[in-house]
Amino acid sequence: MSKKIKKILYWFLTFIVMFITCLPGIWIFISAFRPNAEILSKPANWWPDNWTIHEFTQMFSIKGYVSVPAFDYLMNSIIISLTSTVIAITIGMMGGYAFARFNFKGKNTIFLGLMLARAVPGISLSLPLFILWAKLGLINTSIGVIIVYVAMNVPFTIWLTDGFFRQIPKEMSEVARTDGCTRLQAFWNVELPLAGPGIAAAGIFAFLLSWNEYALASVLTRTIASKTLPIGMMDYLSEFTINWAGMCAIAVVMIVPAVILTFIVQKHLVSGLTFGGVKG
Amino acid sequence: MAEVNLKNLTKKYGDVVAVQDMNLKIPHNEFLVLVGPSGCGKSTTLRMIAGLEEISGGEIYIGDELVNNKDPKDRNISMVFQNYALYPHMTVEQNLGFSLKIAKVNPVEIEEKVTEAVTILGLEDLRKRKPSQLSGGQRQRVAMGRAIVRRPDAFLFDEPLSNLDAKLRTQMRTEIKKLHQKLKTTVIYVTHDQVEAMTLADRIIIMREGFIEQIGSPIEVFNKPVNVFVATFIGSPPMNVIECEVVSQNENLFIKIDNDVLMPCPPTKQDKLKKSSKVFVGIRAEDIVPSENSTGVEKKGWNFEKSIELAEPLGTETQLLFKLNDKEVISRMYNPRVIELGEKIKFEVDLEKIHLFDHETEKAI
Repeated sequence: MSKKIKKILYWFLTFIVMFITCLPGIWIFISAFRPNAEILSKPANWWPDNWTIHEFTQMFSIKGYVSVPAFDYLMNSIIISLTSTVIAITIGMMGGYAFARFNFKGKNTIFLGLMLARAVPGISLSLPLFILWAKLGLINTSIGVIIVYVAMNVPFTIWLTDGFFRQIPKEMSEVARTDGCTRLQAFWNVELPLAGPGIAAAGIFAFLLSWNEYALASVLTRTIASKTLPIGMMDYLSEFTINWAGMCAIAVVMIVPAVILTFIVQKHLVSGLTFGGVKG
Repeated sequence: MAEVNLKNLTKKYGDVVAVQDMNLKIPHNEFLVLVGPSGCGKSTTLRMIAGLEEISGGEIYIGDELVNNKDPKDRNISMVFQNYALYPHMTVEQNLGFSLKIAKVNPVEIEEKVTEAVTILGLEDLRKRKPSQLSGGQRQRVAMGRAIVRRPDAFLFDEPLSNLDAKLRTQMRTEIKKLHQKLKTTVIYVTHDQVEAMTLADRIIIMREGFIEQIGSPIEVFNKPVNVFVATFIGSPPMNVIECEVVSQNENLFIKIDNDVLMPCPPTKQDKLKKSSKVFVGIRAEDIVPSENSTGVEKKGWNFEKSIELAEPLGTETQLLFKLNDKEVISRMYNPRVIELGEKIKFEVDLEKIHLFDHETEKAI
């Protein structure tokens, strides 16, 4: 009997915690599918009376934009986030490997420098970046945003992959090298597959950071040429009205791909892949 | 299939010398064991031969080739690591075939060689398993198989058995020995376990602090240790080494082995001891035995009485502990009986078999 009560209690507590965590998300989803008037109604209308996909059809209508060019923003977001993630991961992987495996002059100082660079609040860089990018003609270009995101993500991916490479016994590459591999072959055939989960984790973090970034993008982007979804959301803000339903709808467009991607990659985040290779 | 030749091999880490001017010629097909306490430079030597550690000075030849600046992959050696270092993401057969795959050997030949290796090592049923699904002994076998498949010029073993439990270790030791007889390849084997060194080696090298202390066959280093270090390192239990005074009485030299106990100096060593006042006496536990079960030593033997402080029964023998000159001494009692603590027992020492070491240099006299 007491076991049953315990179980109910567990479920109840889990439900409360999950509910609190998910509430904003739930509210966004609900609000995305109801008319704006209903969101503004007083007293609050907790559950929609009228379900509608009006906002979605509006923003994705292909023949001329009815409300906000969400498709372009989505494409910008995807291109910018994926490209910057791939670049950041490639550089971070190589950097992390170097920090984990090699000894070189100034290693600790450089590492500390990278971490400190990460500690600088991004927004404080917005003005200098703006001036610099304006002079270089990088304002309102995808490339401009990608460069900034790569710079933001590299220290982080280096730090994360360094930790994962450190966990792989160095005998792994040594034995591969006595087995006839060059250092690069040993890295490619043995160490990289073993660091897979770490690289996947670093990838998710880097992607989400780029996907969600608002502050710098709001300074560096202007039009559909480079605006990402978070910036695009502000299109629903006009002088006299705010289209909350539209905002929620575009937020859904932001949330769904991120959740799907995380869901796919998290399967590869299984740790303990190195188990069994060496005596624990 | 080649000899390995080290000339003035040196390794320094900053100011710390790990290996100093090592000269060594390892003939083809020899099973050479490097043994010594941790930090003696034995693993470093092995890793330098493998090419995993840069050398600070000297030359390494494998066959006739100078390999100083060659990558590990170009040295045609195979190394077995203490922690096995199997590729966790590959099955047993992929682990075994990896080196051949890298060398772009055709798949049919890889399959042949892998099959041969699994047959030699009895891994036939485990081919499709991942390392995590294997026991310690099986992993060790795969690690050896991976080395065999390449048919290297030399096998390098870095303490391959120290992660196994005692029983498995003995078993694998025998297998390594058999494997060597079957493959007829040069083997360089590093261990800190002197039993492994004794049982496996054609030749043992005892190292300490980067220097070679002694090179010889297992029997040689056991019977004729060149100094106190080797004497106490080789043999189990370790040789009893007692610091003693040299006493002269009526023109005869005696060694004061305990309070009021004088042991006659062996006649062959008389001359060499004349000038010394002190000496280290080394007696192996099997050369200092209770008289009651001595086996014909009596004729040459010299005896004394001492009370026992501790007895450790091992079944086939009992190890008796007592003190000489305040130094704990172990004696082996074959045909054991129940021993009472404090019991006085008469011990016999075969004077022909005692070792004497110079008090200052600790070198054998």
